[in-house]
Amino acid sequence: MKPPKFDYHAPASLDEALALLRRYGGDAKVLAGGQSLMPLLNFRLSRPAALVDLNRIPSLAYIEERDGQVRFGAMTRQRTIEFSPLVARRVPLLREATKWVGHLPIRTRGTIGGSIAHADPSAEYPAVLTALDGEVVARGPKGERVVRARDFFVTYLTTSLEADEILVEVRLPATPAGAGWALEEFARRHGDFAIVAIAALVVRDGARCGAARLATAGAGPVPVRLRAAEEILERDGLTDAAIDAAARRAAELVSPDSDIHASADYRRHLTTVLTRRALTRARTVAHA
Amino acid sequence: MEDARLLQGQGRFVADLTLSRMLHVAFLRSPHAHARLVSVDTRPARTLPGVAACVTGDEIATHARPIRAESKMAGYHATEFPPLARGKVRFVGEAVVAVLAESRYVAEDALEAVDVRYAALPVVATPETAMAGDAPLVHEAAGSNVLLSRAFVRGDADAAMAGAAVVVGDRFRFHRHAGVTMENRACLADWNTGAGELTLWSSTQVPGLLREALAELLDLPAHRLRVVAPDVGGGFGVKSALYPEEVAVCALARLTGRPVKWVGDRREDLLTSTQAWDETIDAELAVDADGTIHALRARVVADVGAYSIHPWTASIEVVQVISFLPGPYRVPHYRGEAWGVATNKAPMGPYRGVGRPVSTFVTEALVDRAARRLGMDPVALRLRNLIRPDELPYRSPSGVVWDSGSFVESLERARDVVAYEHVRAAQRDPRRAGRYVGVGVACYVELTGVGSAIPASPGAAINTGTEGATVRVDPSGTVTASFGLACQGQGHETTLAQVVAAELGARLEDVRVVSGDTAAGPAGTGTYASRSAVIGGGAAILAARALREKALAIGAHLLEVSADDLTLADSRATVRGAPDRALSLREIARAAYAGAKRLPAGMEPGLEATRFYDPYFGTASNATHIAVVEVDPETCGVVVRRFVVVEDCGRIINPLIVEGQAIGGVAQGVGAALLEEIVYDGDGQLLTGSLMDYLVPTAAELPPVEVVHLERPSPTTLGGFKGVGEGGTIGAPAAVANAIADALKPLGIELSELPVTPDRLFRLLSRPRQAL
Amino acid sequence: MPDAVTVRLTVNGVAREGRCEPRKLFVDFLREDLGLTGTHVGCEHGVCGACTILIDGEAARSCIMLAVQADGAEILTIEGLAQNGKLHPLQEAFREHHGLQCGFCTPGMLMTALDLLRTNPSPTEAEIREGISAVLCRCTGYHGIIRAVEAAARAMR
Repeated sequence: MKPPKFDYHAPASLDEALALLRRYGGDAKVLAGGQSLMPLLNFRLSRPAALVDLNRIPSLAYIEERDGQVRFGAMTRQRTIEFSPLVARRVPLLREATKWVGHLPIRTRGTIGGSIAHADPSAEYPAVLTALDGEVVARGPKGERVVRARDFFVTYLTTSLEADEILVEVRLPATPAGAGWALEEFARRHGDFAIVAIAALVVRDGARCGAARLATAGAGPVPVRLRAAEEILERDGLTDAAIDAAARRAAELVSPDSDIHASADYRRHLTTVLTRRALTRARTVAHA
Repeated sequence: MEDARLLQGQGRFVADLTLSRMLHVAFLRSPHAHARLVSVDTRPARTLPGVAACVTGDEIATHARPIRAESKMAGYHATEFPPLARGKVRFVGEAVVAVLAESRYVAEDALEAVDVRYAALPVVATPETAMAGDAPLVHEAAGSNVLLSRAFVRGDADAAMAGAAVVVGDRFRFHRHAGVTMENRACLADWNTGAGELTLWSSTQVPGLLREALAELLDLPAHRLRVVAPDVGGGFGVKSALYPEEVAVCALARLTGRPVKWVGDRREDLLTSTQAWDETIDAELAVDADGTIHALRARVVADVGAYSIHPWTASIEVVQVISFLPGPYRVPHYRGEAWGVATNKAPMGPYRGVGRPVSTFVTEALVDRAARRLGMDPVALRLRNLIRPDELPYRSPSGVVWDSGSFVESLERARDVVAYEHVRAAQRDPRRAGRYVGVGVACYVELTGVGSAIPASPGAAINTGTEGATVRVDPSGTVTASFGLACQGQGHETTLAQVVAAELGARLEDVRVVSGDTAAGPAGTGTYASRSAVIGGGAAILAARALREKALAIGAHLLEVSADDLTLADSRATVRGAPDRALSLREIARAAYAGAKRLPAGMEPGLEATRFYDPYFGTASNATHIAVVEVDPETCGVVVRRFVVVEDCGRIINPLIVEGQAIGGVAQGVGAALLEEIVYDGDGQLLTGSLMDYLVPTAAELPPVEVVHLERPSPTTLGGFKGVGEGGTIGAPAAVANAIADALKPLGIELSELPVTPDRLFRLLSRPRQAL
Repeated sequence: MPDAVTVRLTVNGVAREGRCEPRKLFVDFLREDLGLTGTHVGCEHGVCGACTILIDGEAARSCIMLAVQADGAEILTIEGLAQNGKLHPLQEAFREHHGLQCGFCTPGMLMTALDLLRTNPSPTEAEIREGISAVLCRCTGYHGIIRAVEAAARAMR
């Protein structure tokens, strides 16, 4: 389990990195935290001609709040996010999700951009990005473009990033007042990828639910935004009955796959259970 | 004692060893479960920079014979397991070509340049298909895929069943398991051409067995072969067989004249290390209306994989199941039948508990079901049937003799420690909150420290009933005790030193234990089957006792007193009643090596003794495990809240180490019950080839474990020791399974399959059901 | 090695240097090029945690990191834990509470526990279980390890 040979580049600037990607014409891989890519290399399941390592580009690691968004440089470590007071205050759902990402030694190296660009449908960050309807910024030879979460994930491990583009920033809307959030996950072991996880955010508006946001991990080839379930809550409020109806609706909105850890039926069942639990807890947080 | 170096990164594992001119070997492994080898072309790989050699099965065959596990068992078919495949491959991961290079990186690169053409053969994926009349054969030479069958019978189980008040039965399934030592298997061979001597360092549990076997396969006199097991990162039975890689590196070192090292990676470990269990058991238990057991019968079919392994053979796991199904209970009528069936999967081998985790799961499940049918408390039903102290020694239906045991006492004690009635009361409570609490009991007895009367494996060609110890007081007065045993984390350097120090009368810090090196200790086989404390400890007692007598005789001579008037303690011989008249062990040792001038007339100089010990039958260890679990019926997740072990391993040498063995075993048993499963698809492809897919429990999945020691010394072994290495894994799966079944009792659900994955539980809970 | 790169870093307080292929895993560099075999290789896919080291003070897997990426970094391995022949409180506690058996996971376990106690000096048992769940141990059932981390936390406070 040793990686195959590759050319290695550690550019000091983003422009240099983009030039390298262009030079290899799709045969290069971007190396961020490496917590998913390195295992694939060690198993020789990935055989890029070159690695373009972003770890020497300091300008890609930052957390800042601007225009109602919290913006993360793609190379911001998950560990930094976990301990960031700004994140705890302004995107608490992301903070909660971070505790579910592998283990602390994984989060030391793992990055937000890497996790989202890798697009593992069982991972937590893509679910949060989808639930919050966040955006990513992709930089390519033609400049920058902003891609909404719903347009980003294409299928299992595949995004709408072009081969010559690099994900440079992740933008999540700051959590509004009166909001409650929760991430409910079921995994076989602590730190494993989710069998199913549900990211939920609800915004209380008096007795009504001003907005509800729900997305899945593990319930299909991409994170699924559960819009039809959200609508039930936005229409009927955060009553037990509405939460129950939303949870049952959620299961109808997903098309999970079967694998050795869980059948599609079981994942669908978990989608209901965890949606109900996430919403119930988010409601409690919103009322706190 | 071993802790200080291991805590500072100063352990020396095989992967840590480097010899000059050393080559690294990588094996090209079959991607097919069953295929004919059409052609193997290594030329493109041989010319790559850094590659020293590429060797095929045909090329290595002139340097090493295939491994063949012999047995006297009637109807057994041995198989030939070559170091590199010849003719055909029989499981995914079987080694086909060895590439030797300057680094593992280069060797792996070169594997990709080797051109092997395979012609796929029909895959024998399950025992059911393997036993069909027209099934393709895994081994043509065996003439059948059924490599062995065996039965144990007492009384007339069929007749007893017919007349019983209640018969409970089911088809039970315990899926395939992997041992997953944290250190992958590794070996390094060094051939000294001038001396004609070979040294093999291997991460093995059985250096002695390896040396004998390799001498034969390599045509090398055994005294020219040295096998060293340095620090070894866990064994659990997985490292107790002779592996083709060990044969291969020896042959390759001779072939190239250079040291050859193989460090298995995790993928290779999951593909090729011996696996466990994988049995289907049809079993029935008959009881009277008052809960008295009448009869037990079982038919057990094991998937033994592609090869019968040396020295244990393919019988080791499945025959143990039928040997131990009756457990610690009086079973007047018994019939257990077993079949070991070859398939295109990794070979089956011994793993911690061997057979008994499966037999205990089945019997304890049946006992619980009988109790439920009778409306009896499961503890009460067990107490009615456990063998009582006045019935010991007791001959079990399979012929095993239980020399001793505290079966009733351990159950009563465990019941009290867990506060059974309290748990039962609490159980009725939290169900309201949508969580199901269950309590599960498992009682077992196991044979440990197996002596020469009983082969460690049925019909085994070798006897493993003895072990030796050489204890030497050096001229400086320090003590070196060497053994044919090997250690993979059991703390022998501490426990065996304690035994020697106590018996000899030396200070603990003066005793150093050496093991795991065939050149350093007396002849022995190694460490497996919960034998080291019993057999190695017994040999240590005998050798230390002999030395003590000699030391006292020398001391008496020097002090001009009678030996009876001397005591030896803390490395000091003292005249009784005269503490100022004393000699240190160092002074006695000096005299011993000084010769005739300072020794009693006629006494042989030196202060060293080698003794061997054979416990003949072996001794019974027993325990009761009780698990308290919580089942979330919505997520189908199971959490083990509490776990109580009340164990009797006889006289305890070191309580911390006993506790560590018990809890470590429980962890593996809980993993087996809830998480761990080797999965192959219908084409014989391994689907659990990484630690993301084969789930070893972390600290977050395991319960706190409370251990109570009963410490009833064995009446039949020297020192009163009983083995403790495996027991934790024997009881835990059954206790957890019974606890889950107990939790789900209100839903009328029975468990018959392990591990209880969330998905399996989901299917059970989704099934239309009838409440009891 | 025509395409070799130079890696300069500080390991256990000592400036070290080596040359290797860019694809060389950091754990192999530590073990083979620097001779520090105390850091173990258990899975090479970031799951078992045996290879955990501290990089710039934070625990990370050295099997899913390239040696070249450690250029310029400050590394602590198991060999640097004891100071001047005196065991670190964590090492003492592991010895006292039987926190190891075969010793193979132990280096990674110790480095992980060190990071845990630096980020959370007074962890609860549940937090210790969560923290050390980053490393697989097959021998102990984690019981002695948890006791040891509890004891070390007390000693280090």
